[in-house]
Amino acid sequence: MANLTVNRLGTSFATPVVLASGPAGFGYELSDALDLAQVGAVTTKTITREPKAGNPQPRLVDCACGALNSIGLENPGVEAFVQTTHARIIQLPLRRILSLAATSHDEMEQLARQAAALSGYDAIELNLSCPNVGGTITGANADAVGDFVRAAVGVSSIPVLVKLPGDSGNLLRSTEQALKAGAAGLTLINSVRGLRIDWNTGRPFLSRVYGGLSGPAILPIALARVFEVREAFPSALIIGTGGLSDLGSCLEMLMAGADLVGIGFGLMVDPELPQKLAGELRHWLDERGMASVEEVIGIAHSGGLGVH
Amino acid sequence: MIRLDRPLVAAVSYPPDNLIKRNMGARVEDKELENRDATLNGSHFFWQKAQLIDRRTSTRYARVLLRGLELPCDVEVGQFVLVRYSDDPCLPRAFSVMSGSDLGLELFIKTEGRVREKFAAAPMGTVFEVRGPYGTPYASKINFNRKYVLVGGGSGAAPLLHFRRKYPHLVAGEVYGFRTEDACDLLNEVDLTVESTTGLRAHEKLQSVWRPGMGIIACGPEAMLRLLAQQYRQEPDVYVSLEARIGCGIGTCLGCSIQTSTGMQRICKEGPLFALEELPWLT
Ligand SMILES: Cc1cc2nc3c(=O)[nH]c(=O)nc-3n(C[C@H](O)[C@H](O)[C@H](O)COP(=O)(O)OP(=O)(O)OC[C@H]3O[C@@H](n4cnc5c(N)ncnc54)[C@H](O)[C@@H]3O)c2cc1C
Ligand SMILES: Cc1cc2nc3c(=O)[nH]c(=O)nc-3n(C[C@H](O)[C@H](O)[C@H](O)COP(=O)(O)O)c2cc1C
Ligand code: FES
Repeated sequence: MANLTVNRLGTSFATPVVLASGPAGFGYELSDALDLAQVGAVTTKTITREPKAGNPQPRLVDCACGALNSIGLENPGVEAFVQTTHARIIQLPLRRILSLAATSHDEMEQLARQAAALSGYDAIELNLSCPNVGGTITGANADAVGDFVRAAVGVSSIPVLVKLPGDSGNLLRSTEQALKAGAAGLTLINSVRGLRIDWNTGRPFLSRVYGGLSGPAILPIALARVFEVREAFPSALIIGTGGLSDLGSCLEMLMAGADLVGIGFGLMVDPELPQKLAGELRHWLDERGMASVEEVIGIAHSGGLGVH
Repeated sequence: MIRLDRPLVAAVSYPPDNLIKRNMGARVEDKELENRDATLNGSHFFWQKAQLIDRRTSTRYARVLLRGLELPCDVEVGQFVLVRYSDDPCLPRAFSVMSGSDLGLELFIKTEGRVREKFAAAPMGTVFEVRGPYGTPYASKINFNRKYVLVGGGSGAAPLLHFRRKYPHLVAGEVYGFRTEDACDLLNEVDLTVESTTGLRAHEKLQSVWRPGMGIIACGPEAMLRLLAQQYRQEPDVYVSLEARIGCGIGTCLGCSIQTSTGMQRICKEGPLFALEELPWLT
């Protein structure tokens, strides 16, 4: 049987399928829907220093092939997280990635320091790309990316990943700055800013006007971003996220150069999806006589599958 | 092992009793943890095939019966299911369960908006996918020492019709408001308050039905709930069922979170029913 294990960041992910930050909550809510042994890692909902109530309703609206969300980083804040949720996450039998967001260098440093005091996480993911919290998106400004990464890397003993926006014109520069500042890898991409208007009222559907587009609609955007970053930075770890909804899209993402694949919208619609994907991936590799998922990672950069 | 194809097994009943019992009488503060406690057996997470086996339609509404071997049949009053076309990549739609028995799941759908129109026009025998049931049963929220006037607006009648069947002894009166009389034939078990013939809207009719000491359970458009809240905010045991676009349905995505007097709560998990005093913004 093909081996789905992916060894990265000094640890071993049982499969390349990762629960993206947000739609999966904190992961343990899904422990009855999912055989967690089939999941490589859970990424927590993004945690901020202060509790956040998020945005007013409506926060979700669908479109032809996905949905816009405007959750606004609702989360209990780091203190409450440490006291309640943390203990349950670290019992989960899989790799765990702690997602953090902050609005300044100092806040990032303080939050990362609090996170560093927790044991049980394999990496920290800096969410520098939420399209739903007002202000500027840090991830679009390469210098700010470097600054935030330095703040977190300086106080962390575990690898720091950076989640960047898919609609930034600066992605390669931001990636470069992130890696220079000590980031161990990238999560690409966050949901893409979008808008829908209710034609009955002439007003935007979402309370905050814009939302983040996720789901199959953004797959080609995510693939392009992963592909170009892989090409420019052959050895950076990439969690390819965006529009993954079936085996085919996951294969594309791996072939584009993602070491791990993150599932967001797809899991929101079908909580069983991550384990289905792991099973189907294994089956696909078996059928082709491939011994390991490593054999497909990045092959779109080196002439494709060849003869198998 | 992974089950790519789940074998069909006959008449499983869920949600598991333990969840309902655990939720009974739990206070809002406890509920957060209780609900996040993964004590479910998991079956309600999975999409189940369901065939459209009966439907009656009017201009604006459809009453449909879905049947499937693995469909939940003992749904509690106030719970909802998510429905989608097979393998549709879009967000599913939430529907309150009007009745759930061995015969199938009965839903009452307003045939407005692209997706719901499709549900209502699908040929008999069409296979949909259903998951659920979700949401906290009304029984875990309301005060059983009171009788209630049920106030429905449009498709909001669905959970209330379920309520009157299951708890007839708790019903003090009923008001089901509709714009036009087209739904009368679909809901012939109750009297409807039709605005186009009586000139009365649900909250106006309520004034002649409600008496001090009675509680209220209301489900309908937010505009109706606001009017009702303005009139009955001071009364005890007034409950309203809220709607939001549902994403996951299981409490993880926070797409349906709303502000309440005790903090953020999720319509799909702690709701959809809330006590009026939890919603100071509803005016
Ligand atoms: C707990 C709960 C219980 C519910 N129970 C019921 C029930 O029993 N019966 C019932 O009928 N409903 C019920 N609903 C509501 C139901 O789920 C709605 O279908 C849902 O809220 C979406 O309605 P819609 O009309 O926007 O979408 P749809 O009717 O599904 O329309 C689909 C899409 O078409 C497009 N569209 C439609 N209108 C416009 C527009 N004006 N401008 C631009 N694009 C547009 C949009 O992409 C829209 O999302 C319930 C909801 C909840 C939360
Ligand atoms: C409801 C919802 C909530 C999200 N919350 C977060 C979040 O808290 N932090 C974050 O980094 N990304 C968040 N995301 C973005 C996803 O993690 C993911 O990057 C994006 O949706 C693209 O992937 P997808 O198409 O598989 O959903 C959220 C997405 C959705 C749909
Ligand atoms: S719909 Fe996802 S939390 Fe309620």
